[in-house]
Formats: sequence, structure tokens, C-alpha cells
Amino acid sequence: MTAHHRAPPLVIGSLVAMSTSATTAPAVQLVGVTKQFRTADGPVVAVDNIDLEVPSGQIMAFLGPNGAGKTTALDMVLGLTEPTTGTVSVHGQRPRQAVRAGRVSAVLQSGGLLRDLSVRETVQMIASTFPDPRPVDEVLEKAGITSLAGRKVSKCSGGEQQRLRFALALLPDPDLLILDEPTAGMDVTARREFWDTMRADADSGRTVIFATHYLEEADAFAQRIVMMAAGQIVADGTTTEIRARASGRTVSARVDGSALEATLAQLRSRPGVHSVTVESGRVQVHATDSDAIALALLTELGGTELEVSSGSLDQAFVALTSGGAPAAAHGHTNGQATAPTAAAATTSTTEPEGTLR
Amino acid sequence: MNLTYTGIELRRVGRDYISMFFVAVLPAFMYIVFGAAMSWSDAPVGNGNAAMYTMISMAAFGAVTATVGVGGMAAVERMQGWGRQLGLTPMSDAQYVAVKAGVAFVIALIPITLIYVLGYFTGSQGSGTAWLISALVVVLGAAVFSLYGLLAGLLFRSEAAVGAASGSLVIFAFLGNIFFPLSGTMLTVAQFTPLYGLVALARYPLTEGMMISTTGPPVEGNGLWIPVLNLVVWTIIFAVTAFLLVRRGRSRQ
Repeated sequence: MTAHHRAPPLVIGSLVAMSTSATTAPAVQLVGVTKQFRTADGPVVAVDNIDLEVPSGQIMAFLGPNGAGKTTALDMVLGLTEPTTGTVSVHGQRPRQAVRAGRVSAVLQSGGLLRDLSVRETVQMIASTFPDPRPVDEVLEKAGITSLAGRKVSKCSGGEQQRLRFALALLPDPDLLILDEPTAGMDVTARREFWDTMRADADSGRTVIFATHYLEEADAFAQRIVMMAAGQIVADGTTTEIRARASGRTVSARVDGSALEATLAQLRSRPGVHSVTVESGRVQVHATDSDAIALALLTELGGTELEVSSGSLDQAFVALTSGGAPAAAHGHTNGQATAPTAAAATTSTTEPEGTLR
Repeated sequence: MNLTYTGIELRRVGRDYISMFFVAVLPAFMYIVFGAAMSWSDAPVGNGNAAMYTMISMAAFGAVTATVGVGGMAAVERMQGWGRQLGLTPMSDAQYVAVKAGVAFVIALIPITLIYVLGYFTGSQGSGTAWLISALVVVLGAAVFSLYGLLAGLLFRSEAAVGAASGSLVIFAFLGNIFFPLSGTMLTVAQFTPLYGLVALARYPLTEGMMISTTGPPVEGNGLWIPVLNLVVWTIIFAVTAFLLVRRGRSRQ
């Protein structure tokens, strides 16, 4: 399992040390997990043979585009879906057992609330299903919705409903909290407020796994990022590592056809360059130090019509899936297939080795 | 039995005044108009009178409307994601069904109690056994129809479908010999419709099998086996279809 990860950098290392003293079994362990759905168009593999271990106390972000398999993977951890093959365990127990014992809870993506109940009634109702829940007033307070207790769920905004789901998730005082795109559909302010609430709770030493497609959220809140694409884990590292790859910029310019090969070779040999592609006569370079590349393109390489754009998540994917990262071993081809910008011309470059901007 | 959960569920249904109108107020009103206020309400029927006959019919109609609503609501709320929320709790499917059955039972008791009390004060007469057994049959028989509501919810996946299922009960009530004593071909057809068995059984302690008609004195019926067979067959149809639909839903996940 752990051989799968790259050498644990400082942050993760200290967390592992902390967790092993607390409990022996990891918070989450997935071994060779595959989930296949039957659909009208034939079987679809949502999760494709993934291995993942999350130590106790870690805050991990699950990053990936829609349809990457994040929700399915989390559903299996919560016992809402059974894997087709492979095993899932939560604190050494089967997921459903862990749910029954109140060791794992979750904030689900959408739906899941009865619109004609009040906020307080909803919490009371779910609380009644647990043998020893936290007091209703306490979870309302922690989720910051004490003032909304009497309001009908149907009258609550999306952000308020999400806080209510968070309050419900706190009822069993779980060791592991799973958040499936908790801020989807929220505006910027509501998103920030939600994460402020989460941050206040995170000090309790809970293991938190959250799925998101906002890189900034993962960056601000997680200690570790696991990237999924097309049902496979394509990258696994600390936020620092992932950010270094994702935070670069793309520099593109038109380069004279005759000198193209030499130019490409030149660019690839530069440090901090993640990928070099050619698209309809334009050279595109994804690199950490975009200024240096831009300068080189305009001066020594004779580029024209220069453009610089900031890195998108798509480009991070390209960088991560084509960068020869150990974790991407089996996800290599799939990762490229999901990112259309990863044209055939994508070239591997040297690993940036945690370069920071 | 989770009493907190059941209590909040009951409050939730009770707050739905529109449903409550159709479940309790409307059948009670119909009992007064078509039963107690009619000139023939004192006419003897089996162990009691005609008012009691109408009273049992309307109580059954109200109770069935209640259980169809509860069953349908259960299907819809589970599909809309509440099932996933409950999947994060220790509550099992069996406990959920127990809660919903408890709610359906209590809600079904509302029209029965209301209409029986009204009946008591407005001239419904019958033997003590007839009062007791008829109420019991109505409650138990109505439970079967929560499956009918469940089916509608599972099939059409919307609150409107549940409303339509409740509405369809008016037609089944006509066909089931509830609102108006049928005769001839209509009565023959009626014996195959889902509400016929329940109501005929509920009225049996009063009528002892005699068929009421609008044209003359009560006539001898065709025996107890018809309503019993009717209720059993419809119960099996509802249960098997619900089972198949739930299984289809699972495999699609």
C-alpha cells in the first residue's frame, strides 16, 4: 500500500506518526476496489482497481472532474454501495458496521432532506436513530445554524441546507467525516463560511475526506490530495507537491515551422517545464517559471503572438498524468484520455521535485 | 420502535392540512350527507342500521386514503435522497418499515375514530361486535393499501404520482361498492376491483353477507369467500409488484 505513495514528505510523515499511536487500523483502507455498474449502454466501470489508505487524523482531498468516480468511491466507504471486487474497511471494520457504530458519517452531495420538516426536527429525527448521539443543540451550534432551528428546510438556502447536513453528520461524533462536494452550488461567501466552520471543527482530530473539484479548496484545507480520473487514482501527494505542479502557467506562441524540432527540444530541456505540446502551429508550454519561458520564446527562440494563461485543473491533470509520477503507474493512459488537452504531442519532462512558486 | 422518529413523522403528516382534509374531513362529511342525514338511515341492516353501513364504508375510504398517502410518501422520500441520509445511520430497513407502518396505523385511525364517534352520536346502530370487528378489519385492510401507495411512488417517482394514486381511490371506491350500492353487471365487475374485498369484509360483521340494494330489501350475498379472496389476491399483487420494483431499483444503482 504505502509503497504506492511517494516518499512521505514532512506533513504526512508527522501525521502518520501521530495516528499510529492513536489506533492501529487506518481510518480508511481500499484494496483492489472496483465498482462496475450495469447501464443500458453496457457495463460502466466507475472505480477501476484502486488502492488507498488514509491514516487516522489526516485531512484528505479527493480531487477530480465530474464522473471521475469520487462519489462512487466514497459511497463504498460509507457502505451505501458494495464494491464489485476488492475490500473496503473503515477503522478495520466493514463500512456498514462502522456506520452503525457511529464511527463514520458524511455530508452528502444533494437531496437527502425532508423539505417539510424544520431544521431542529430534522436533527432530532436523525439523532433518534443513534443510541448515544451528541445533543441536538450542540450540533446546531457547531454547524452555526442555532438561529435557523425553527425554520422549514424548504425555506433554507443551499448553504444553510449544507450546514444542516453537516450538523447531521456531527451527531454520532464520528472519527471519520466524509464530505462529498460540500460546497457545490454555493456562492463564494457561503463557500468561505462553510470552510470556516469546517476548520473550527477540524481541530478535534477527526479524519476528514472531502471530494471537490475546486483546487483552491483542496489547497486551503487538505494535507494530502488524491486525484482521480476515469475511475483511477492518477496522483497522490501533499498539497505542496500537487500545487507546485498545478500552479504553473501555460505559455503559448507561434514558432517558425523549420526551427520547430530544435525549439521543442530546447524547451523540454529547461527546468520547471511540465509539458510541451504543439497545437495548430502554436507551441504550448506548461511550466512553473512562465516568465523565463516567455522571455526565451520571444528572444532566442523567435516566437510571435505570445500568450500566457494561468494553470487550470485540466493542465494540472496533464502535468500529473504525463509526469511519470509513481502513483500514476496504472492510471497513465486513462488520465490522458480524460484530458483532451493532452494531445499526442504531450511530452514527458523531468519531475519538478516539489518545486514551489 | 423509534418513538421520536415516529412522533416527528406524525407531526409532519398532521401538519399537511390538505391531506388531512381528504383523509378525515371529506369522508366524515360524506358519512353525514350520505349516511346520517338520509331518510333511510334508520332502516335495519343485518345487526344494525343503514347509517352504520355507510359509516363503515366511509371510514374504510378515509383509512385507505391515509395509508396510500403514507406508503407513497415513503417511496418518494427514499428516492429523493432521504434513503441515503438514513443509510448513514444505524437505522435498518426493517426499522424504517416499522416506523412507517406505525405512522400509517395512527393516521388511518384518525378517520376511523372521527367517523365512528360521529356515527355513535348521529344514529348509527349495530351490535358491539359489529362496531369492534368492522373497525379492526378497516385498519388491517387499509394497511394493504400502503403498498398501493408505495407502488405508485416507486413507479412514477414523484409526489404528483402519490396524489394521483390517492385520487384514483375515488374511482376504486365507486367500483368497490363503497359510495353507492351496485347491482347486476356492475356488481359482478366490482367484485374484481381492489377496494371491494376490504369494504365487504369490514361490513360483514354488520350485514352478515347480505347485499344492500337501492331497489328493494337486502338480498343474500354470494358468501364470505368472495371478499376474502379479493383481498388476498390484491394483497399478493401489490406485494409482488412492490418487491419486483424495489429489486429493479437496487440493480440500477
